[in-house]
Amino acid sequence: MTFMEKSNWVVLVVAVPTLLVYAAVVLSQVLGTPIAEVSWVQPMVFAIVGFIVANVLGNVVAAASNPGEADKNDQRDREIDHFGERIGNWLMIAGSIAALVLAMAMADHFWIANAIFLGGMAASIVSSVTKIAAYRGSFQSW
Amino acid sequence: MVKPTRVTNSIRSLRFANGEMTQAELADRVGVTRQTIIAIEQGRYSPTLEMAFQIARVFRVPLDEAFQYADEQG
Repeated sequence: MTFMEKSNWVVLVVAVPTLLVYAAVVLSQVLGTPIAEVSWVQPMVFAIVGFIVANVLGNVVAAASNPGEADKNDQRDREIDHFGERIGNWLMIAGSIAALVLAMAMADHFWIANAIFLGGMAASIVSSVTKIAAYRGSFQSW
Repeated sequence: MVKPTRVTNSIRSLRFANGEMTQAELADRVGVTRQTIIAIEQGRYSPTLEMAFQIARVFRVPLDEAFQYADEQG
């Protein structure tokens, strides 16, 4: 497995639990509290910082497991990376458009921030799943 | 992404004909990862024209001896 593929596994392994824990923490409040009183800022900051730190640590561990491969990537790696990122970007754009529409509709900050957050997390997950599928299966860039 | 390719190759037989060259050694000489050589050999990835030339050059054969493009099936 190349370092780039390991790196995508790290994103997936970190992003899914991060999203699930955040959703559990916030949704548990949404059910019995008015939206304006839901405490979502701190959980979201923890989720974002935790996601970044865990990704960095995961990549350090992946690089340490095979130092000789850590700085190697080739044409196929780059093509797979571009392909996955392109698909992930659509979700990021969808989240941003949803946030824009919510802002225009004067929605609560909760919904606007969460639309962007969910778009970003979904983009990370779908992008890494797409890249892993490309590594594991057949990939033609044309 | 999963579009089948009509490009086939003889890399495996060329490796064996060249002193049983390993995939890792071929990868080093072409400057790619071993996983890319494996994907090309198995027909899961079609290399760029430049990479194809580099692979053929390692075996000192013309490009169409290393890579073939099958006729369209009627």
